[in-house]
Amino acid sequence: MGLASRILETVAQPLLALAIGLAVSALLMAIYGYDPVLAYKALFTGAYGSTYDLMETLAFAVPIMLTGITFAIGVRAGLFNIGAEGQLYMGAIGAVIAGAFLSLPWPLHVLVATLAGMLFGLLWSVGPALLKVFRGVHEVISTIMFNWIAFYLATYLVLYQLAEPGRAEKTYSVLETARYGVLVEGTSLTSVLFVAIAFNIAVNVFLTQTKMGFELRMYGLNPDAARFAGISEKKVIIVSFLIGGLAAGLAGATQVLGRPPTWALYGTLGNVVRLGFEGIGVALIGRNHPIGIIIASLFVGGLRHGGRYMEIEAGIYSELVDAVTGLIIIALAVPEVFEAIKRYRLKRRVAGG
Amino acid sequence: MQPSDKNFVELRNITKVYPDGTVALRGVSLSIRYGEILGLLGENGAGKTTLMKILSGVLQPTTGELLVEGRRVRFRSPADALRHGIGMVHQHFTLVPNFTVLENIILGIERERQGLTGTLSGIDFESHVKRLEKLMEETELKVPLDAEVQKLSLGLRQRTEILKVLYRGVRLLILDEPTTFLTPLEVEELFKVLRNLKSQGKTVIFITHKIKEALEITDRIVVMRGGRVVGEVPTREASPEVLGELMVGKRMELDVLLRARKPRTEGRPVLEVRGLVVKNDLGLEAVRGVSFKVYPGEIYGIAGVEGNGQAELVEAITGLRKPESGEIVIDGVRVSVETPIDVYRMGISHIPGDRDRYGLVLEFTVKENTIIGRQWERSFTRGLALNWRSIARYAWEIIKRFNIVTPGIDAQARALSGGNRQRLVVGRELSKKPRLIVAAHPTRGLDIASTMYIRELLAEYRDKGAAVLLVSADLDEIFQLSDRIAVMYEGRIVAEMPAEKADRRQIGLLMGGYQVASQKA
Ligand SMILES: Nc1ncnc2c1ncn2[C@@H]1O[C@H](COP(=O)(O)OP(=O)(O)O)[C@@H](O)[C@H]1O
Ligand SMILES: [Mg+2]
Repeated sequence: MGLASRILETVAQPLLALAIGLAVSALLMAIYGYDPVLAYKALFTGAYGSTYDLMETLAFAVPIMLTGITFAIGVRAGLFNIGAEGQLYMGAIGAVIAGAFLSLPWPLHVLVATLAGMLFGLLWSVGPALLKVFRGVHEVISTIMFNWIAFYLATYLVLYQLAEPGRAEKTYSVLETARYGVLVEGTSLTSVLFVAIAFNIAVNVFLTQTKMGFELRMYGLNPDAARFAGISEKKVIIVSFLIGGLAAGLAGATQVLGRPPTWALYGTLGNVVRLGFEGIGVALIGRNHPIGIIIASLFVGGLRHGGRYMEIEAGIYSELVDAVTGLIIIALAVPEVFEAIKRYRLKRRVAGG
Repeated sequence: MQPSDKNFVELRNITKVYPDGTVALRGVSLSIRYGEILGLLGENGAGKTTLMKILSGVLQPTTGELLVEGRRVRFRSPADALRHGIGMVHQHFTLVPNFTVLENIILGIERERQGLTGTLSGIDFESHVKRLEKLMEETELKVPLDAEVQKLSLGLRQRTEILKVLYRGVRLLILDEPTTFLTPLEVEELFKVLRNLKSQGKTVIFITHKIKEALEITDRIVVMRGGRVVGEVPTREASPEVLGELMVGKRMELDVLLRARKPRTEGRPVLEVRGLVVKNDLGLEAVRGVSFKVYPGEIYGIAGVEGNGQAELVEAITGLRKPESGEIVIDGVRVSVETPIDVYRMGISHIPGDRDRYGLVLEFTVKENTIIGRQWERSFTRGLALNWRSIARYAWEIIKRFNIVTPGIDAQARALSGGNRQRLVVGRELSKKPRLIVAAHPTRGLDIASTMYIRELLAEYRDKGAAVLLVSADLDEIFQLSDRIAVMYEGRIVAEMPAEKADRRQIGLLMGGYQVASQKA
């Protein structure tokens, strides 16, 4: 493939997808009697128009660039791990426990609470990993089950064990010593952004520079050849799940330790819910590449933050805003979905032949 | 009832080029007469399955025409062929394992009748059962209709497949290698059923690579090789020798240049296999007690039609499959391996024929592909990290030494031609300085230049003292390279001889299941 066509594919294809997504959404808004031009203006200036908005967009990007990794590292190993949601809840719980109930000096406390979140996320990914490796349970089934268990377990813990007395709707807030510093006063962006970016870069280094990353990618692309080359299937699957668990756990921790004004977990899990699933779209848009995922998260974060302005300035009710942003995300994800289907088909054909 | 002379179906000048460019059929003409059992005999890759898939509407021919009862037809799908009374039982099973026999049989019929939106409630199970019972009575093809398919023996599953096709009212039944998974007793029963079908006026096409079976059950035999029909004989005039020769070709002018003058069976064997039994994925014994030795400086060639246990044998030796019993001794050490890595660590190279599936990761770069299976080696790592600089140096070395044509080391392996892909695999494997080389169909599908080059390499490494186990369905390859030749048939080594004493026709017979009297295993 020539350079020109490669550039065309990496740049033109997403742009085309974006154009289609915007066009379809515009049509949808027009049907409901709204002015799409006004709406899009509100969306994009809302997302990137001022320093404040840019910071908020970045704050939205933090958790989803991490849950994006959870899904992506699964795909890279040939898995369909959609367990980020549950692992994220557990990560948030871990961060609350370590952040609110330990007493340690800053910045050690920040570190410990962050690691606690990652550890909880990791532990929650062990179940599906072992079920897959030893019982052959498909990860889609097991991660969905674990997501639900995590949801009810976390809700129970928040409401009955960790709730702040007199304020039943949320847990104890984490101590000052366990909080990431706000970067720009008046915004909710904290230094946890750098932790998230560093994590993504570390995953990229792992994939491209290490023996284990090589084996993981190889297994994901051609399991037969990997087995032939003496690669342990079990090891690859477990490692992929564990890294995914770390990422999702960290994502949960960022929302507790690094996102004012709550510094806690809501009883409805309202400040973390859906962030795990959102990572799937982010991973697809970012082509399951850690760096691509950072970029994709900035875009999706922008939609989430800017989307609020569509409501405020163009008067579009929030369900339609969700539909519009959802459509744009889907349009952008479609090329990668097609790629994935193609790869899957190819694999099946080879295996069947 | 005797077969009539009238043609039921005629295939005229059929060619088939697969989307990937493989030419599977090169102008095949064939007629099928009413009421006969026609044997379609040929080695793997001869084009038998492709031809019959065209006749049954699964595939469309690239050129050529099809006549049914004298009229030109064009089948766009298997349903079209069924409407003309033509149905095929495929080489692999097509049943839904957790459905019952009855459900499997009526599955396609009901969907066609009701469309995609149909519901189960509309199905008249009782009338289906009644008609099926009658059909079973007539054909003596008995299957328990209520049993779940996954609980049935392979023989019964085979019957279900046949019953399913017959129930669609076919008059021409095509069976693609139907005896592959059957026990000898089940084969006998199958033949009984076929004779019975014939007596009821059905026409049958029986695809096989087993000469013996073709002689036993058919009225007429058509032999295919390399995408062409190379012979046609009435069965009662056919002899196993003639068929064997037709099947494997007559090319006796052998290139013996590559062959060592005499077998070297002295010293300690590098590989010794003793009484090896290996099961295949279906749990059947694919390798049934195989023993042989490969000495340093010789190429031990195992000939045989594919599917006679060679794949499982190679997998067991290279650690990909656990044997049931028996021993594998490499360099005097009895190996019990958990993963292939243990085997590779012992200095074994493995060259698979299906390089795209087993040898390479096509999405990886050339550079990445050169260390597959060697990624743990000291020279390519620095602690847990890969040392890309030394890997790059080594990749260039391989490219130069093995004449690989590639845009560079960072190009995807997919960008390479088949010949260059295989050179990459061979280069990687041989650069391990192996003591034992296991090559399974190492030149399959390659251009002539690459084929010759790879064969020369194998001979070169043999001359340097490596022991080479060559498994190939290509008799030319076996004869060109081997110092000793063994023939594998139905999981056993049925003959072993020095290459200079081997005779092509005789090997062809052995491959087809004929035990030659003078030959001892
Ligand atoms: N789907 C396919 N795509 C490309 N090549 C194919 C395909 N199926 C078969 N072939 C090739 O076509 C040739 C004939 O194969 P086939 O008809 O299966 O032979 P047989 O049934 O006699 O063993 C072989 O070279 C085989 O590799
Ligand atoms: Mg076939």
